[in-house]
Amino acid sequence: MGDLSFVLQILVSGLGVGCVYGLIGIGFCVIYNASGIVNFAQGAFVMLGGMITHALLQRAGLPLPLAAAISIVLVAALGVVVERVVVRPLWNRQATMFVMILATLAAQIVIERLTLIVAGDQPRTLPVFTDLPPIRIGTIAIGYQFLWIVGGSLTIVTLLALFFRMTNTGKAMRACAINREAASLLGIPVSRMLALSFALSAALGAIAGILITPTQYTAFNVGVPFAISGFIAAIVGGFGRPFGAFLGGLMLGLVQAIAVVSLGAGLKNVAALSVLLVFLFFRPSGLLGTSK
Amino acid sequence: MTTLSLKNVTRRFGGLVAVDSVSFDIGSTGVTAVIGPNGAGKTTLFSLISGALAPSDGQIFLDGRDITGIRPEDVAARGLIRTFQLVQLFQNMSVLDNVKAGQHLHTRGGIFAALARPGWARREETQIEARAWELLEFVGLSDHAHAFATALPYGQQRLLEVARALAAKPKLLLLDEPAAGLNADETKRLSGIIRRIAETGTAVLLIEHDMTLVMNTADEVVVLDFGKKIAQGLPEEVQKNPDVLAAYLGGVEIGHG
Amino acid sequence: MTSLLATTLPSRFRWTDTLAWLPWIISAGIVGYAFLSGGYVVTLVVFALIYAVFVIGLNIFMGFTNQVSFGQNAFAAISGYTSAVLTTAYEWTTLPAIAVGVALAVLCAFLIGYPTLRLKGHYLAMGTLAIGLITYEISVEWSSVTQGYMGISGIPPLGIGAYEVTSDRGQLALLVVIVLILTFMSARIRTSRLGRAFFAVAGSEDAARALGVDVARYKLASFILSAACAALAGSLFVHVVGFVSPEVFGLHMVILSFTMLYVGGIGTVAGPLLGALIVSLLPDTFRAFKDYQDLAYGAVLILLLIYAPRGLAALFDRYVPAKKVGGAP
Ligand SMILES: Nc1ncnc2c1ncn2[C@@H]1O[C@H](COP(=O)(O)OP(=O)(O)O)[C@@H](O)[C@H]1O
Ligand SMILES: [Mg+2]
Repeated sequence: MGDLSFVLQILVSGLGVGCVYGLIGIGFCVIYNASGIVNFAQGAFVMLGGMITHALLQRAGLPLPLAAAISIVLVAALGVVVERVVVRPLWNRQATMFVMILATLAAQIVIERLTLIVAGDQPRTLPVFTDLPPIRIGTIAIGYQFLWIVGGSLTIVTLLALFFRMTNTGKAMRACAINREAASLLGIPVSRMLALSFALSAALGAIAGILITPTQYTAFNVGVPFAISGFIAAIVGGFGRPFGAFLGGLMLGLVQAIAVVSLGAGLKNVAALSVLLVFLFFRPSGLLGTSK
Repeated sequence: MTTLSLKNVTRRFGGLVAVDSVSFDIGSTGVTAVIGPNGAGKTTLFSLISGALAPSDGQIFLDGRDITGIRPEDVAARGLIRTFQLVQLFQNMSVLDNVKAGQHLHTRGGIFAALARPGWARREETQIEARAWELLEFVGLSDHAHAFATALPYGQQRLLEVARALAAKPKLLLLDEPAAGLNADETKRLSGIIRRIAETGTAVLLIEHDMTLVMNTADEVVVLDFGKKIAQGLPEEVQKNPDVLAAYLGGVEIGHG
Repeated sequence: MTSLLATTLPSRFRWTDTLAWLPWIISAGIVGYAFLSGGYVVTLVVFALIYAVFVIGLNIFMGFTNQVSFGQNAFAAISGYTSAVLTTAYEWTTLPAIAVGVALAVLCAFLIGYPTLRLKGHYLAMGTLAIGLITYEISVEWSSVTQGYMGISGIPPLGIGAYEVTSDRGQLALLVVIVLILTFMSARIRTSRLGRAFFAVAGSEDAARALGVDVARYKLASFILSAACAALAGSLFVHVVGFVSPEVFGLHMVILSFTMLYVGGIGTVAGPLLGALIVSLLPDTFRAFKDYQDLAYGAVLILLLIYAPRGLAALFDRYVPAKKVGGAP
């Protein structure tokens, strides 16, 4: 039975990581729906969420909730900066999709390198939010951080659902997703939606980064792998469907956990990338999507 | 002597039947026009014939061979060349190079020919260059040979697309609204060009809104409405057909414009 | 027919014809200066030329054919590591090791390209990025062969049989020859049936297919040519440096090569060489602070994409239209 509980344990942790991937995946969808842009700088937001919170906690000595909140706001602001400085000028020049991807990837590198210069290459971690011994269910231990991650992501997903359904801004963003030209004819400020989507998406990334950091570590270069995982989540969920992306994230988290158990921790990223290729080659419309 | 033969060709997009069991034959010479109101399914029909879309149902024969569902490049290799309703030039190439690229099917050089340039490849290059100039003369664009395709005014871009299609030596040429965006003068010249293409033994299938052009150039007319073929015949007959008049009511005025 | 021939001839003198030589004159100037002055500049130019080999390939796939690959570093890694392992662990001589490395990379490009090139837009971008990252992960994890992060050292220099090119100037001369040959090849490809097919795919896939161009095949051909250049660059690199580690072929290589391509001018013949030289030489000051290097490349790349998407060589190149880079995917 020791083996089984070990596997279950791994699956539980996979589920936790999966929630985080899901949030990042939703971040991709939010921008994609508002603009048709795939933001390859998404990972930078995740990385910064953890890094800035860590800095505020350690250097400024702020309490964790405050540090996290400020960090989310700062990263959301950075999202708008990326939109203004990199994306908007290209958008106005009607750059091709590929140029946009390349520019956002370059933005990712720039942010990454700036972080390296400012904060150094030391990995950082955050304290767990609730420092209590894990809850035991049978032989499985469930840490409080896991509950935070799952609870936190589910709350975010619910809030997002309400935002998209109930608020005018949310409805306007959905209208953009369905048909940008029509939305703009209806008087929806499509370009403001673009900025908003970057802010929202960056905030989601930051939240994901803050939630996951206590269980792992963060460093200037964790962004790209997280972005790839989020992208995979989005693809599995049928690109552009936020809730599909969340489920996709859960699936990826589980697959990765299984890969770690059976192949070793070193192949974690290879496993994720292979899932990506399998989906791209065989089911580009995702598990939940219909082929376009 | 039929070149193209459609048998109950159907294409659905979800619930919408864009092309609904259309059948007709066209001969190996002459100009056939496909007309019909906007959204009647004309462009979709061209995409089905040229292999860009697969039919949901039905069969398409070219020179008696079934070409249903084969790739567009293979359809092209069998001598059926189309142009597009929205001009699709190679905007990154000169006018001359566009026409040279159109001769792809009738040349054979690959990486070896590109790098080593053996005698046969150089001769091939000379030939296609000469042919490209002839075609540009034919459509009246040789003055602009070295300009970029996108630098041409819209009407001339359409003519370039026709020249490029002719470069592929089509047995059957499909032109999707070639006169769209052309002024009266250009339309007249286009009409002459189409007639001359037909006289050299290439069958032409033409989608057109400009009724003057249709009446002046077409030998036969097929009318589509809501995806269905509602009439076929000589231009003068079709023009008087009550179904056709009904389909066009409130739409394009039919007549000698 | 006489009128035909008359119009084929260049009708009038264009000042742009002489301008077209400017990128070459600048490049020759830089290389010549390095050759004469020797020392550190030579090393810098040697690396620039190795990158030029890589970027010439990238340009065929992206500039000519208007496709996207963020994963060409994979082929540099495959060939570079093959070269390294064959010459160190198996004591092969350099030339056959490079040949096998490039051949293996080309084979991989063929196998990977077939499913990958069916992807479009951001799927293609992400798919190729994933291929580069997987290769990186493998070069880290497969430590029995690659020695992981430690890397492989003691790789012999370039040479033919017993004759080894060890002097800086010798390496420079050899690389100049290689780059010239590749540039000449890419110029010839550009003005051939093959090149027109690439440009046709770039211009409009639908139109290309409607004219009988087998788009899938030409994309693959372009990808393979591009991978072969990347592979050659990878092998040249390990033999020149004498060392290889996963970082050599990391994401850094991708961003750097794109910056070079855009500085020089995507889609032009002279662009890759000019871009590689300028990007390697201008931020000479950054060399001391490696962390600032990628930062600078990334920032320059963003600025170029926004304000000068056609690059330097394009200013002198009359073949490229004054339109936006690339086309609708
Ligand atoms: N790819 C597609 N997906 C869904 N509907 C389509 C598609 N292409 C065309 N249609 C629909 O099929 C009908 C016929 O279109 P089309 O063939 O372009 O008409 P025409 O060329 O006669 O104006 C239209 O209602 C159009 O909206
Ligand atoms: Mg149409």
